[in-house]
Amino acid sequence: MNFPRLQHISMRTLLYIGAAALAFQAAFPFLWMVSTSLKPPPEVFATPPAFIPDEPTLENFIRLFSATHFLTYFKNSIVVCGWAVVLTMIVSAFGAYSLTRFRYPGREKFAGLILTTYMFAPIMVVIPFFILAKKIGIENTHLALVLSFTSFCLPFTLWMMRAFFMTIPLELEEAAMVDGCGRLRAVIFVVLPLALPGIIATSIFTFILAWNDYIFTRILIASDELKTLPVGVQDLFNSSVIDWGLIMAAGMMITIPALVFFVAVQRYLIRGWGAGAVKG
Amino acid sequence: MDNLSNPRRRQGSPAASDSQMGVGGTGQRLMRFAGDFFRVSKGERSEQVAGYLTIMPALFLILGLTLYPVGYSIWLSLLEKHSFFPQERFIGLSNYIYLWSDPEFWSSFWLGLVYSFWTIFFQIILGVAAALILNEAFIGRNLIRGIVLFPYMIPTIVAVILWKWLLNDMYGVVNYWLVAFGIVQEPISWLGADHIMFSVVLMSIWQFFPFVLLTILARLQTIPEKLYEAAKVDGASAFKRFIHITLPQIRGILFVVILLRSIWMFTKFDTVWLMGEGAGAGRFIRTLPVYAYMRTMTYYQAGLGAALAVIMFLLLVICTIVYFRMFREEADIG
Repeated sequence: MNFPRLQHISMRTLLYIGAAALAFQAAFPFLWMVSTSLKPPPEVFATPPAFIPDEPTLENFIRLFSATHFLTYFKNSIVVCGWAVVLTMIVSAFGAYSLTRFRYPGREKFAGLILTTYMFAPIMVVIPFFILAKKIGIENTHLALVLSFTSFCLPFTLWMMRAFFMTIPLELEEAAMVDGCGRLRAVIFVVLPLALPGIIATSIFTFILAWNDYIFTRILIASDELKTLPVGVQDLFNSSVIDWGLIMAAGMMITIPALVFFVAVQRYLIRGWGAGAVKG
Repeated sequence: MDNLSNPRRRQGSPAASDSQMGVGGTGQRLMRFAGDFFRVSKGERSEQVAGYLTIMPALFLILGLTLYPVGYSIWLSLLEKHSFFPQERFIGLSNYIYLWSDPEFWSSFWLGLVYSFWTIFFQIILGVAAALILNEAFIGRNLIRGIVLFPYMIPTIVAVILWKWLLNDMYGVVNYWLVAFGIVQEPISWLGADHIMFSVVLMSIWQFFPFVLLTILARLQTIPEKLYEAAKVDGASAFKRFIHITLPQIRGILFVVILLRSIWMFTKFDTVWLMGEGAGAGRFIRTLPVYAYMRTMTYYQAGLGAALAVIMFLLLVICTIVYFRMFREEADIG
């Protein structure tokens, strides 16, 4: 075996060790969560901690659904995130179409302004937002949450949709209109079908962002029956005795929807289309 | 609408003048704007109207829900205002003067700098290293590319409870391993005063470095393979290829990533707050965003909270401008 070949093999070995370490650090905490959520209470606190539960049980999940308001929080999360996605997507689809298809003075300025607000952090917006929401009497409502999620997501959805619309050739639309289609019909039958993958991917990113929000809900929502999952679960966590099995079961239940959606869009991320598509 | 049936015209005047609008004073610009708007044909006019109508909802929401609140917080910072009761009183710059002599403000400012510096530093190093690994071809690459993004996609509350459980002083698996392998004698109180900053930095790196990885990886995939082949023929080592080919190519995007990460780490609220909550040692990681939150929601001093938000905002604006000045070349590439 000559020297370059040896060097090649050692580089490959390093590469595989690095890749394995990356996978381990990302996956292990989740696997540990799954393991803990399936353990009965005495096993949770056993020393040494076992990775595979001796007697796996769904008891923690049953307790989560029956003894806490988890299902209410879950429903609230779905409703609020659903509306936030609908509102954000309608507004940003129109906006992105405008930014890529019409010529008018000030267009690039608007695009720049939108990109600038992408950098605004929630903490800078939420305090005045809260006071304003109190003034117009929408604090402690889902409406306030939907609006704040929209304000948070809109800059990046517009930006992403703009990128998707730019990949759709203008000529297709123009050809349809030359053939006597109105603009509206050209949009519905030519542009939308082509933009659909982009619209779906953007919706999912919006959903994940809204689903993960903590700060807006913490500040804007006071009633227990209106809370979304992250805040509801934190309150479970803050109860005096921490029931780790229950908490891990709750953690799994919040993570699963986010991960399912993530798996659906990850090829866009990896391909690089969605780089910078997520904020935080 | 007939305007689209004539594709030639879309290369016409309004578009060209659009890019020139940055030249000249405000008055001139306004004139040109008005000129563009009024001195156009009927077809162009209807295209402009359609353009304004379709962008309007988005602009309206961004103005009303983001820019107006941020502007309002400047006014709010000049008031003495209870967070829940309607009374308010104008007190000028008193909130800022109070903060200037408030040791708590300076300590949270310092803690925020420490937190941001270490998290950004390691996010960039790890993110670039991981992107280089995942850019090589090997079996199972796509699977691992997916898995490493998990931590970035999950709600912060989940990341926090995961790490609080892993780092738990009595039952945590990290302490168990450290003791079992004889690295430490006694379990370490990871969420205690001495180690909580380390723990929150560690956890934040874990949660956020995938963003760096993702962005750098996307850029690496666009570097032409030819460049590397030529260098290999010339006998350049892997290290040299990184310094002379990869690094210049990712400079531009690295500039943007460092800027974005700095802004977001310095204003990071939920990770730091949730990590410190209930731990008893929370005040050892009380960064500026957490302090702003506490002033507003624990002490009900919305005016002070807003003043802190404004200070953060101004700091970020100033730093962004300085950063762009310092690295003008990179900004052009990015």
